[in-house]
Amino acid sequence: MSKATLDGAPIAIEDAYQHAAKILGGAKFPVVAGLATDAAGARAAILLAERLRGAYDHLASDQIFNDLDVTRSFGMFITTPAEARARADVVLLVGPGLTEHWPALFERLALGEPARFNDAAPRKILWLGPKRNEAKVEGVEIETIAATPQALPGLLLAIRARVGGRPITLNGAAAKKIDAYAATLKAARFGAVVWSASAIDGLTVEALQGLVTDLNANTRFTGVPIGARGGASGVVQVGGWMTGFPPRTGFGRGYPEHDPWRFDARRLVDSGEADAALWISAHGGEAPAWTRDDVPLITLAPAGAGAARGLYIEVGRPGETHDAVELAQETSSFVLRRATAPSEAPSVAEVIHAISARFSEDVPC
Amino acid sequence: MLTCLSGGHVVDPVNGTDGVGDVYFEDGRVVARPDGRKPDVTHDVSGHVVMAGAIDIHSHIAGGSVNTARLLLPEAHRAHKARPAATPLSTAGWSTFQTGRLYAQMGYTTVIEPAVSPQHALHAHLELSDIPIIDKAFLTVLGNEPFVLGSFRDNESPNVVQDYIGATLEATRAIGIKCVNAGGVDAFKKNVRAFSLDDVVPEYGLTSREIFQRMQRAVHATGISHPLHLHMNNLGLPGNVETALATIDASQGLRLHLAHVQFYAYGKEGKNGFSSAAAQFAEKINSSPNVTVDVGQVMFADIVTISSDVMKQFNSLPGGRPKKGVILDAEGNGAGVVPYSYRISDFFNAVQWAAGLELFLLTNDPMRVFFTTDHPNGAPFTTYPEVFALLMSADKRAQWLSRLPADVVALTNLPAIKREYTIYEIATMTRAAPRKLYGFEDRGSLGAGSVADVAVYKTNEKDRAEMFRHAAYVFKDGELVVRNGDVARYTRGKTLHVKPEYNKTINKRLDSYYEDLYGLRRGMFRVEDEALPASQVFAEVPCRS
Ligand SMILES: [Zn+2]
Repeated sequence: MSKATLDGAPIAIEDAYQHAAKILGGAKFPVVAGLATDAAGARAAILLAERLRGAYDHLASDQIFNDLDVTRSFGMFITTPAEARARADVVLLVGPGLTEHWPALFERLALGEPARFNDAAPRKILWLGPKRNEAKVEGVEIETIAATPQALPGLLLAIRARVGGRPITLNGAAAKKIDAYAATLKAARFGAVVWSASAIDGLTVEALQGLVTDLNANTRFTGVPIGARGGASGVVQVGGWMTGFPPRTGFGRGYPEHDPWRFDARRLVDSGEADAALWISAHGGEAPAWTRDDVPLITLAPAGAGAARGLYIEVGRPGETHDAVELAQETSSFVLRRATAPSEAPSVAEVIHAISARFSEDVPC
Repeated sequence: MLTCLSGGHVVDPVNGTDGVGDVYFEDGRVVARPDGRKPDVTHDVSGHVVMAGAIDIHSHIAGGSVNTARLLLPEAHRAHKARPAATPLSTAGWSTFQTGRLYAQMGYTTVIEPAVSPQHALHAHLELSDIPIIDKAFLTVLGNEPFVLGSFRDNESPNVVQDYIGATLEATRAIGIKCVNAGGVDAFKKNVRAFSLDDVVPEYGLTSREIFQRMQRAVHATGISHPLHLHMNNLGLPGNVETALATIDASQGLRLHLAHVQFYAYGKEGKNGFSSAAAQFAEKINSSPNVTVDVGQVMFADIVTISSDVMKQFNSLPGGRPKKGVILDAEGNGAGVVPYSYRISDFFNAVQWAAGLELFLLTNDPMRVFFTTDHPNGAPFTTYPEVFALLMSADKRAQWLSRLPADVVALTNLPAIKREYTIYEIATMTRAAPRKLYGFEDRGSLGAGSVADVAVYKTNEKDRAEMFRHAAYVFKDGELVVRNGDVARYTRGKTLHVKPEYNKTINKRLDSYYEDLYGLRRGMFRVEDEALPASQVFAEVPCRS
């Protein structure tokens, strides 16, 4: 049995769907936000936003754009974790908290083992700016340079300069370390830089891709991005084929328009431009970032993450309580995740279909 | 419901039909004229041309690389028009939804996406299921992965790669096999920057020639209808016609499809060291009956190049328009996405445009020469009507030639070529020929029993482009989906695939290969029913009997 509450008080699920349809169907410019869901959920949510001439955003959009803005301004060199595991003889980790954002990182990239090609020479692992103690991994020798996140772009620029044989302003031990890094990177046969746009900013992503571009002048180098939370990479892909655009896309004029500022859900709600919000957070039950609490709110989140305010409808966890297609970090492709603990809780797609089936007739299809 | 299209000019090369007649269909299939029964619906299509729905054999419409291009270029596909009721996202620029609508409006009812890596098969199917109306399929890309290269290097039995292909087709639900710059994509990972037919892949000791020949034989041995679909070495480079000619010479008399050959029709003559070698190439194609080609016509437009030829795409980065791009080194194969703009004032682009038309006009068998722009690499598929018009009118070509740089005109044979394609030849290259190339038994023809995919164009001899741009009627599986060039609602097409027999013991070996090399369960990449929308319908294309 699926569960629903209205301002914290239980209501029948049928009433919840009806109420949700009334809120969304009656809104002038609703925003479908959070969007932490699987491929089917994202597809249903985007179609809903389009039908209602609202907008869609993702809870990790800031992190998404740290990468995507670099891609669409300059481009990007990327590889899959599987190919990096098989081939990368030099791996440069950049930024703090990488294993928090991807706990399987070391195991998946087999950083303690040699690469399979390039004569199986031992892998060299560098880590620029890890957290304290984070770079102590059993069985893996890591050459670190300590740095705050703010210092990363400058350090990457310095390394890039040394790769290109240009002078830098640093000297002493710091310069020596930079030189050693540059020498290792240049000597790579197939190197990979690993980063998480949830841990570093766009400027750093730009700096590291600039470094990769320069390294490719003489050898092969590429990158392994770690996707943001809430199924962000998959939602970006689904938005891409459905509308041409990633999150922060609106349909006010009857066709998609993408504007990372205008269609930021937090701004839309706080400014009052959006007059209703559907908040989807099926993985962890994260709460919205906006502060305003007088905009009608429908929350789709798993059990235990019920919202005290507004309408709450329980959904299952993708790949846990129901089968789900998600973009897998370990393969960087869409895969089917079979339910590990199947339950009756509906998926986000199912709930959206149930709501959409109850729109009054003046909502066009 | 029995429908009759009455009094149109029926053009159906499969059955040799080229004259006024009626076409009947019922329950989604074309039927012979029924005795003593009145049609439930009759459309008077006099003054119209009636053909089977067109089939596009090579157009990049879906999958990870296409989607990367969409996300790379938000500036390139802004929409300007609200969508009509009942067709969600149909005006969203470059979306899957718009793709289905635009193809249907031109009378295309089957489109094949030519470059999906096996690891991204599910992604491609998810996109295909969001392309309304038309039927679709994809080729999966093989030939640069360590499994194949290792098997060839170790001189294993050819059955190994044949079974590998069978297993991959089954797991991905693809319709055929493409091989891209055979060995060159792997070599690029080892920092090789140029790779030709007789260059050797480091660590494997195999030439590109050996790899493509063995792949060609292995694909043939599976019994699938579509031959190896080959993207040759040296795409886009001056003088690369030599590679193309040598590839044809190496084709062993076995069927071989060469993709987007316009990009290989270049000589080194002239002060820019770049010229059209289309005449020489066309002659070779004419005399090589085992070879089919698609042209990959260039038109002057802003485009984006999407290719699994990672080496070539990397080398294209400095010339990008605008200068940006995504280079993906993936397991075995990969992808590169680099935007570009073909300009009529650009010497090189103008030569490319002319070379494509020369290939169309100097080859003599429309059953072996396919109509493509390698969408979006040479031009968007929406330019097809203009290309048809150019093929059908020497005057029209002369008008365009007058706008080309004079030094280009001097370097091509185009002004001297007076040939004009007939409607019958257009129907051959877009209907009958694709039917044969992919082994379709149910489409590309208006014979009884064919699916009732029918395109009806209002005859317009003055403006052929207009004629082909907006079909007057399009029927998909017998349902009216386009009227006067507009789609009013969506239907759902099918996804076509092949499923040849193969020795299943290969699966065990492939499982351990994935586990050993990538530490992954190979099953993760398999396309399962549970992963697909319930609405996705598959149809199996038969193997050669
Ligand atoms: Zn292509």
